[in-house]
Amino acid sequence: MPTGRAVSYLFDGLTQFTVDAHLAPALAARWDISPDGRTYTFHLRPHVTFHDGRTLQARDVVHSFERVLDPRTKGGRGWPLYPISGARAFAAGSTSTISGLSAPDDSTIRITLDTALAIFPKLLAMPVASIVPDSDTANSAEHPVGTGPWRFVQWKHDDYVLLAKNPSYWGGAPRIDSLEIRIVPEPSTAVAEFQASNVDLLYVPEAETERWEHTDEKSAFLVSAPALRLWYVAINCTRGPLKDPRVRQALNYAVDVRTMLQRLVGGRGTLAAGVIPPSLDGADTARPPYGYDPAKARALLAAAGYAKGFAVQLWVGQDETFQRIAQSIQAYLAAVGVRVALVQRDNSAAREASRHGDADLFIKDWYADYPDAEDFLDPLLVGANKGVGGNVSFYENPTVDQLVSRARTTADNAKRAALYQRADSVAFGDAPMIYLFFYNELYAVQPWIRGFKAPAIFNGQRFLDVSIVGPGEIASPTRDSVARDTTAPHR
Amino acid sequence: MGTFLLRRLLLAIPTLAGVLVVVFALLYIAPGDPVMEMVGERADSATIAQLRRQLHLDEPRPKQFAAYATGVLRGDLGTSFITGRPIARDIAERFPKTLELACAAMLLAVVLGISVGVLTAAYPGGWLDRLTLAFTYLGISFPVYWVGLILILVFAMILRWLPPSGTGGLAFLVLPAFALGTRSIAFQARMTRSSMLEVLGSDYIRTARAKGLPRLAVLGRHALRNALIPVVTVIGLDFGSYLTGSILTETVFSWPGLGRYVVNAIGKRDLPAIQGSILFLSVVFVIVNIIADGAYAAVDPRVEFGR
Repeated sequence: MPTGRAVSYLFDGLTQFTVDAHLAPALAARWDISPDGRTYTFHLRPHVTFHDGRTLQARDVVHSFERVLDPRTKGGRGWPLYPISGARAFAAGSTSTISGLSAPDDSTIRITLDTALAIFPKLLAMPVASIVPDSDTANSAEHPVGTGPWRFVQWKHDDYVLLAKNPSYWGGAPRIDSLEIRIVPEPSTAVAEFQASNVDLLYVPEAETERWEHTDEKSAFLVSAPALRLWYVAINCTRGPLKDPRVRQALNYAVDVRTMLQRLVGGRGTLAAGVIPPSLDGADTARPPYGYDPAKARALLAAAGYAKGFAVQLWVGQDETFQRIAQSIQAYLAAVGVRVALVQRDNSAAREASRHGDADLFIKDWYADYPDAEDFLDPLLVGANKGVGGNVSFYENPTVDQLVSRARTTADNAKRAALYQRADSVAFGDAPMIYLFFYNELYAVQPWIRGFKAPAIFNGQRFLDVSIVGPGEIASPTRDSVARDTTAPHR
Repeated sequence: MGTFLLRRLLLAIPTLAGVLVVVFALLYIAPGDPVMEMVGERADSATIAQLRRQLHLDEPRPKQFAAYATGVLRGDLGTSFITGRPIARDIAERFPKTLELACAAMLLAVVLGISVGVLTAAYPGGWLDRLTLAFTYLGISFPVYWVGLILILVFAMILRWLPPSGTGGLAFLVLPAFALGTRSIAFQARMTRSSMLEVLGSDYIRTARAKGLPRLAVLGRHALRNALIPVVTVIGLDFGSYLTGSILTETVFSWPGLGRYVVNAIGKRDLPAIQGSILFLSVVFVIVNIIADGAYAAVDPRVEFGR
């Protein structure tokens, strides 16, 4: 299926995320954790049926995880299951079973991890850990069968996906009959479809934000929520003058992030003072952002021996808003003597360069796979994840590495949050990136739609409580459409 | 005619072999990495190395090319790195939509372009002629992307006569066909007009008029048939390019055709999908050109097959 979003409509995991990004039970009604934190026993919800009528059993879960990790699947995205003992060996093709995964009876799953991992239940809510029936064949990509609130009807590639409500959904049937996901690659066309009332819900494109928020009739449709999504400029800490933390701090002081947020992104966000979004445990909402202080930037550059500035390359992909931010950054940095050459490539080429460490600066975003500070700290800032692991700043600080790794095994939430907060704070001082902002997702919703909340995480809205009222009941009784380009890059 | 076709088809083989080599070479020179696109942004080098091995991307280039070319010769275009679906099936699903759009645009261009061209040639310098001149200038100059967005704005958002995008009945075809066909309509109107004016000034037309033939018969039977010769060539070229490159129109109107498929595949560096569809589109282009040459010979008795 096209995206993680659509997967969440058709399938369930053992766990799931709520619309405001909290962990909740799903196919596992509850779970026990052994005192050493390494063994999880999941108790399956009874009487759950797949869309084809068969009853969910523990062996379906085993099969689902084996399928994802099976080297023949060639998926390459099985990492959320790697903490399970024996998962890596199985994925490498050297064993035929996953030693840490078993089904002692029809309704119980026992999972043993290599080391204690407090966030493990969150990893199981990711699309890749969705549960499929164990009889499924290669054809299931075209006719997926899950246990989710929506069952598959039709998928016209590059056109739309049509889903119908699952009347026997264990969480209660959805209140609308069908859900149509339109695939609209051109943002202006998606807006036209919304204005022609052909779609009920629109994911407002970044470039359209200002036009929507500053038009009264349009702003009436808007629903917004802070998303777990960070926009930043990765600074490659291994290249030339950028090795010096004072230089990296100077870059942070040199750009007026507040103005860029207002002017270029329609104010859709909160200034970042760290990588942890404010709504997650571990975020320090009292920590002030760097702030715009060109004099301080110049002083820091002079102290680092670059009073006359230096030249860097700023890489940017195809995203229009990123390109505009990049141009502004170029101007701001020129004012403190840093000469920025913009290198614009298609997304794939720009990403490749940044992962190989060939880009001095790279403007990008990061959005949460699961709602936990670890999903920001570990990939973006931990030394072991330099390059392909997500840390394209090539930042390495043993203190940060140690704090994050301690947090991983700490079961107590408050203690873990404190460790996260310290790690974020240490890295913030080292400035391995230009901290921009946490982005707010923005949706336009037709007046006849009730109960829609903007999800804080991509798979948090499953349209269970959404309903259609008033004239819409006559005009378009069974259609709920989401205009969104599923061809856009999505992790 | 038979030998003509055979010769043209035989000549197509080296052309297509060249396309195969060039596309393969370009994809490996171009930056970007298919495996990186597959694994997402939080990967590890072991997984990447394993996938590279499984997809045979770690093998020497000539060996990779030989494997790919052998597959193609056996009629196997491979499977997508990203979706795992056979490329041939993806193409078979999308090409009919591209064909539908190209045919509709061409039909508009032929019907509107040629009739406007004939009408303006019949009354040169008249108000219709001058108005058409202005419109055809604009039609040729406007980028198709912009035309598409303006059509959506006017006919879907303001007048609400037609749906903005998507597929379904005939109504969904109208705007994209006009957007794609605008340039051709304008170009063919101008081609037909100038070609007609040239023919209308010739001696045999004067003869036809002198012997008292009705005006319509002169225009239609005598002038148009000869005036069409250059127009047919342009129709063939335009049709070939529509079948292979309506990417912008498909994007603006969310039309699920082959153009968008190729662009998406390039974005993901889905090598088999890119190679397979470009090879397929080259075959289409070659075939359309052969047909156009055949048609050219059919309308112009001076052209003989096999020369």
